[in-house]
Amino acid sequence: MATKNDSVQLLISVRDLTKTYNDGAVRALDNCNLDVYRGEVVSIIGPSGSGKSTLLRSLNLLETPSSGSIIFDGVDLADKKVDINLHRRRMGMVFQHFNLFPHKTVLQNITLAPVKLKLQTPDEAHETAMKLLERIGLPDKADEYPARLSGGQKQRIAIVRALAMNPEVMLFDEPTSALDPEMVGEVLDLMRDLARDGMTMVVVTHEMGFAREVASRVVFMDMGSIKEENTPDALFDAPKDPRLKEFLAKIL
Amino acid sequence: MTWSGLFENMSPANFINFSFLPKFGTFFIQGVEYTLILSVIAVAIAVIPALLLALMRLSKNRVVKSVSGAYIALFRSTPLLVQLYIIYFGVFGLIKIPSYNIFGFIDIARFIPGVVALALNSAAYVAEIFRAGILAVDIGQTEAARSLGLNGRQAMSLVVLPQAIKNILPALANEIITMVKESSICMTLGMTELMWGAKTVAGTTYITIAPYVLAAIVYFCINFPASKAIEAIERRMRRGDKK
Ligand SMILES: Nc1ncnc2c1ncn2[C@@H]1O[C@H](COP(=O)(O)OP(=O)(O)OP(=O)(O)O)[C@@H](O)[C@H]1O
Ligand SMILES: [Mg+2]
Repeated sequence: MATKNDSVQLLISVRDLTKTYNDGAVRALDNCNLDVYRGEVVSIIGPSGSGKSTLLRSLNLLETPSSGSIIFDGVDLADKKVDINLHRRRMGMVFQHFNLFPHKTVLQNITLAPVKLKLQTPDEAHETAMKLLERIGLPDKADEYPARLSGGQKQRIAIVRALAMNPEVMLFDEPTSALDPEMVGEVLDLMRDLARDGMTMVVVTHEMGFAREVASRVVFMDMGSIKEENTPDALFDAPKDPRLKEFLAKIL
Repeated sequence: MTWSGLFENMSPANFINFSFLPKFGTFFIQGVEYTLILSVIAVAIAVIPALLLALMRLSKNRVVKSVSGAYIALFRSTPLLVQLYIIYFGVFGLIKIPSYNIFGFIDIARFIPGVVALALNSAAYVAEIFRAGILAVDIGQTEAARSLGLNGRQAMSLVVLPQAIKNILPALANEIITMVKESSICMTLGMTELMWGAKTVAGTTYITIAPYVLAAIVYFCINFPASKAIEAIERRMRRGDKK
């Protein structure tokens, strides 16, 4: 697991981020501040509706902030003049419901973006994709369509699809929540591998075991704001925020 | 006129008096060809503006959105016959098209204004078909494409539209069927389609009902099997989805 050392580099810095819906009636995010350093695994936990997804999806601007800034590698993504597409390439995202492209084969799912964005030639993309599929033990599924895969296979391929872009950070939104219990392990194993290889990761999860074991830092959210953040041991064993105590009592 | 005179025409025999067929059969054959060509070409022409209208309607820009919304509202809320006359006499009163026959029975001087009018009308309906088809694709597909760095246009053309096509094609085929029926209105402009054929035969032979009955039979024999076939294909595709 990557740990902070003297040479740590700030990769993402969220400043005073607020997101409202319905003309301010819903405050999904209320003045959030968060730093993510290279090589870190940040886990976001909290009750349903607390704003975890909104915060994560703000990082690559799938949600546009109402106010505040998201500094990614020195650039404020909330600035309208920034070409967000150039930055999204460098941030992989994995969704709860996989969102593989059903009309494309596994291989085409993985090679589509690198080839269309002219980051790799078709041959290079093919080679990268096959290497990644071998890494997750699914090279024989290259020419299958997603409909013929299990949930666990789909999610691992979704992860690999994001990895094919060589991202600097991976964002996960409850990657195991839509899976049958027996398939959760294979996805978490792959994520654990990524963390071990030093990938910077932000993971919204209900898997407290995973957060405790893999995360370098855990962030607790409630009512649209970050109530507490700490190392997993400190946060789980000695919670300070009353809402966090309540939350942990309920789920553990 | 006596009572019996009034109902003379209503005798069942008049409905099936097809004695005009040997002499006037070509009116129906060319008429149905004209109708099919007119309908298919009208919907085919409608596809491009319809896609544009649909994308405009889904745009975030309010002006773009309302231009498209206004077009669709206008064409869907006024009768086709009125649109046909305005476009035929208004627009094509200014742009004169020389008379020239293709296939020997399609005069482009009438055909082009008619097909353009039908296409402009159809575009409003097809735009809604496209819009519904696009909206039926899970938003997660767009999000996944965009999160990989594809821009909006690439996400639409590479990921969303290929999936939307499945929803769109059956509805588009149904639109052609609607057009086969609706295009009968072009008779009023002297376009020599199926209904015009029936009317001309009725006028020439003084057999007043049977030509229309024959026209109805021909319309039915095209549209009913076609719509059943579309339904069957749709069912098959839906089964394929569940796998
Ligand atoms: N598009 C939207 N329109 C209106 N309200 C929204 C929208 N998206 C999210 N919200 C609201 O914002 C709040 C935060 O939602 P968010 O999805 O971020 O929560 P979450 O912590 O991810 O919850 P969960 O654990 O259920 O996924 C909720 O109250 C939600 O209802
Ligand atoms: Mg969520």
